[in-house]
Amino acid sequence: MKLSKDSRKTAKQLFQASFVDGRLDSQRLLQATSLVIERKPRNYVGILKEIQRQVRLETAKSHVVIDSAINLSSEEMDRVMNDLRSKYGNDLSPELHIKPELLGGLRIQVGSDVYDGSVRGRLANLEKTLAA
Amino acid sequence: MSTILQELESQISGLSTSAMKSNVGVVREAGDGVAKIEGLSDVMLNELIEFPGGLYGLALNLEETEVGCVLLGDFTEVKEGTEVKTTGRLLSVPVGKGLLGRVVNTLGEPIDGKGPIVSDTTYPVEKIAPGIIKRKSVSQPVQTGIMAIDAMIPIGRGQRELIIGDRATGKTTVAIDTILNQAQINKANVGNPDFRPIYSIYVGIGQKNSNIARSIAILEKAGAMEYTIIVSASASESATNQYLAPFAGAAMSEWFMDNGMDALIVYDDLSKHAVAYRQVSLVLKRPSGREAYPGDVFYLHSRLLERSARVDEKNGNGSVTALPIIETQAGDVSAYIPTNVISITDGQIYLETDLFYQGIRPAISVGLSVSRVGSAAQIKATKQVAGKIKGDLAQYRELAAFAQFGSDLDAKTKATLDRGQRIVELFKQTQYMPLTIELQVAVLWTMQNGYLDDIAVDKIKDFQNKLMEFFKTRKTDLLAKIINKKAIDDEITAELKSALSDFKSTYK
Repeated sequence: MKLSKDSRKTAKQLFQASFVDGRLDSQRLLQATSLVIERKPRNYVGILKEIQRQVRLETAKSHVVIDSAINLSSEEMDRVMNDLRSKYGNDLSPELHIKPELLGGLRIQVGSDVYDGSVRGRLANLEKTLAA
Repeated sequence: MSTILQELESQISGLSTSAMKSNVGVVREAGDGVAKIEGLSDVMLNELIEFPGGLYGLALNLEETEVGCVLLGDFTEVKEGTEVKTTGRLLSVPVGKGLLGRVVNTLGEPIDGKGPIVSDTTYPVEKIAPGIIKRKSVSQPVQTGIMAIDAMIPIGRGQRELIIGDRATGKTTVAIDTILNQAQINKANVGNPDFRPIYSIYVGIGQKNSNIARSIAILEKAGAMEYTIIVSASASESATNQYLAPFAGAAMSEWFMDNGMDALIVYDDLSKHAVAYRQVSLVLKRPSGREAYPGDVFYLHSRLLERSARVDEKNGNGSVTALPIIETQAGDVSAYIPTNVISITDGQIYLETDLFYQGIRPAISVGLSVSRVGSAAQIKATKQVAGKIKGDLAQYRELAAFAQFGSDLDAKTKATLDRGQRIVELFKQTQYMPLTIELQVAVLWTMQNGYLDDIAVDKIKDFQNKLMEFFKTRKTDLLAKIINKKAIDDEITAELKSALSDFKSTYK
């Protein structure tokens, strides 16, 4: 269902109010959402869904998905994460996936940035340049 | 030696970190040729977005959390959750002489089954028009081959002349005639080093495929395709493709301008273009304004038509002449899109249904048609014979309305009426038969000097046809003189006089 302008505005205000020093504060967010649930303003489900969407987008910004052909040791993982932290700041949450179909190398996604160093990615790129 | 080694080493170390960085997003919503995408934090406005399977989209709306993107091509495969990525490129089309004689779609891909396009250059579809410094005033003619236009509403290279009228009043015919005439002139001047050919681009927007096929057949039959590019976004194609087609055509014409050549581009028609853009805007949920058109529909057409220009020697030394077409509803030129385009262009050719059914074809309404820059672009000979015609015809129309009531007319009024009737007859012209400028000058000279006054009005057309035949077969050297001198001097006048007395003695 389409969210009304007012509900969207409320959701946005609540979401923005949950920020402390430019970072999303989970305590404040919980406080805000439980208040919404308690007071039940008009279309509160829609408001909560909108907040949920905003939070999902916000957390995705600092979420790191590492696809690797083989399992990474904790040192390797630390090295990768340290590299990324120097670029994207400290509050990154990593998530490792083992994907043998990459053949080799890593594919790292931070927010909407993707660093593709996998063999599969390079092969696909090669295919594209040869086809053109 | 060691420096080379170090250089190589640094190059190799640069290579080893070649993980490709890209920016991705995920489709959240798709439909009506539009996709809403989450992510894509680095996307730029008007950037091409790559979908899986070789499909591309164009980022048109950059919103807080989403990107609104129109899809170029088959959008039925796009699903929620599809991963897309930015390309860092703008939409561009192939340009160059390899496109001449071809029929292409909005993306510059051939649709005529004649194999791939040979072109190594591409131009972005959206481009900012040349600025003031780069421009030159319009002073060279574009001859349409339609006597009424060349004599009264002349068009110059770099001008934008609107062709406006109701459905089925011959708008496309005027444009096709002009393209045919350019091909005719180009062919006649092959090998002439001073001659500047005009290449034509015909952009069909929202047209029936049958109409486009018919136009192509006419151009092919007349051998005009070798100087023509057809860009087709027919009614069955997506609104996005229809919206982008004129910009693709403009990019192709700009290549000619940038490389010292002249181009003529026909946008057939911009009413349907506005409708396609309205659809794209509405599915993108942009706010709508008058007649549900988006607020930037004026800018849509002004930035397109502003790209036709004549540029000076330092900036390409070429020109793009535009002939946009607008279809009115029941002759209403004060509707939204017609008034917009009228105010953008440098004049209009107004075609009227009434005139069309009276048998006056092309059905050009002299009173409402103007060319705001054209007279500077007429050759002197045309100015000499056609300078007063527009005024004469206006007077004739005014008097003709009164003369219907009264029978007694003074001699002067009668002369004006007689002259007017003969001019109207002369300006009737069969479609797809453009006349060369020298022939037009000869015919108009004949009329201006009273040689038609003793011919009955219903015989004028017959007289004109025979006279033109006579000039074309027996007086070719005289026609050549007119076109070479580009003016009527005493010598040509004398020759014209003797030619006419020759002809009149044999005419019956």
